[in-house]
Amino acid sequence: MVSKAEEAELNRLETQVDNGGGGAWDYLCLIRKLKVRRSHKVLNYGLSILNDSRKRSGLGQEEWTLYEQVAIAALDCQAIDVAKDCIKVLQKKFPQSKRVGRLEAMLLEAKGLWAEAEKAYASLLEENPCDQIVHKRRVALAKAQGNIAGAIEWLNKYLETFMADHDAWRELAELYISLQMYKQAVFCYEELILSQPTVPLFHLAYADVLYTLGGLENLQTAKKYYASTIDLTGGKNTRALFGICLCTSAIAQLTRGRNKEDKEGPAELQSLAATALEKDYKQRAPHKLSLLSSVLKGLKVSP
Amino acid sequence: MAEDLVLDTAIRDWVLIPLSVVMVLIGVLRYFVSKLMRSSPVPDAKVVREGQIVLRARNLRSAANFIPHKSFRSRRIYYGNEENGLLYVPKGQAQNAQAQMFSDPNMAMDMMKKNLSMIIPQTLTFAWVNFFFSGFVAAKIPFPLTQRFRSMLQNGIDLSTVDVSYVSSRSWYFLNLFGLRGLFSLILGEENAMDDTQRMMQMSGFGMDPTKVNIVSLYCIVF
Repeated sequence: MVSKAEEAELNRLETQVDNGGGGAWDYLCLIRKLKVRRSHKVLNYGLSILNDSRKRSGLGQEEWTLYEQVAIAALDCQAIDVAKDCIKVLQKKFPQSKRVGRLEAMLLEAKGLWAEAEKAYASLLEENPCDQIVHKRRVALAKAQGNIAGAIEWLNKYLETFMADHDAWRELAELYISLQMYKQAVFCYEELILSQPTVPLFHLAYADVLYTLGGLENLQTAKKYYASTIDLTGGKNTRALFGICLCTSAIAQLTRGRNKEDKEGPAELQSLAATALEKDYKQRAPHKLSLLSSVLKGLKVSP
Repeated sequence: MAEDLVLDTAIRDWVLIPLSVVMVLIGVLRYFVSKLMRSSPVPDAKVVREGQIVLRARNLRSAANFIPHKSFRSRRIYYGNEENGLLYVPKGQAQNAQAQMFSDPNMAMDMMKKNLSMIIPQTLTFAWVNFFFSGFVAAKIPFPLTQRFRSMLQNGIDLSTVDVSYVSSRSWYFLNLFGLRGLFSLILGEENAMDDTQRMMQMSGFGMDPTKVNIVSLYCIVF
């Protein structure tokens, strides 16, 4: 996660470097530290440092880190030749390195030689079965080929060992959703909520999936999680407000004709959500207010 | 003391300075030797997995209220059931830390390497200092000190009449041994400083936790 202060620092450095104010190396270091994806910029500024032999030797040992960074950025930009040159230099410097081996496998991957890349990753994993990056590359490889089921399989294998890696759980949840395997996705989102209970995004996504699954129990749970999203965001999440309205009307439809013992509570929540929505629309998009009221009317919600 | 002892300048040229230079050189040499012998630790997949399981279980415990009760129950069973739960360890199979250390030859090997690179040069230099320079005064510090410093500064001289500000050669060796850390961190980089003092503390057992006691006892057995 990139904090606000770090992002501000990054943007400041970016404008400074873009306008020729120097500090390219600091900018590249910050990109590396925050793990943000600015491949074109890294390629431009990294190469300008690498092509200047005086600047390059000024880096000392960091030179090789820069080579690696530029190689990866080049792969991302499909500048295969640049990447190849960088990797060649690294290969010469560190002949036996697995890190360079990983870069070579990524080069194969970028060229679209899936089978070779796969083989390279497999052999890397054989040497060091705990290499998280290689595991993840393999998932990405399967995903790039459009083989979502394969990606899920690799990811599951990875999570068997590294089960506290919440980014992997998130990826898995999204993959499952893309295959409409909502039950599995629900499990992944639960895992995410467990690891980071105060991130509203996960609550929201969890509620979305539960709502999609349908059924009275799931709808009720979904409503709770929409409510917790609103709680965590301080009422600023429009999607969650809509979610409350949708859930309540869906529940009302399912329970029609049954005894109406706790009818009062939900209706109140719904009308509160609808009021909040109307107020929000009035403030930020007044011309769409009529749309909103017709939608709410369709849901039989009256603010 | 009324009359000061006069130290021969030859002592400065042939004891004080060589001793310091030798200590520095040995420190640098030892740094490179230990760098050569250091094997990069390969994490064991099983150990990694155990750590991750514990982490995940801890998340479950602390955030249990954030997921529906049903999901929590299924997870609890998944972790804790008695047949194949992730966290369940059959009785008697749990290894204590010490047994684990003995069963893993790599660990003992690593420790021995570390200690070898440290203890051998230290014993040798100590023997060398003792053999050549034992029992004479090598330096004088420019300020007076109380009697309590006698054992620190005049190691190897058993004269109670000598002023405490005189430093014996053996004490000079010890002062160098502990005092050169800052210099090493300058020459060899911050993190590479040979942390003799700390290791020494570990060895001799000042205020340490049980795991370290184990290391020391293991070290004694291995040696």
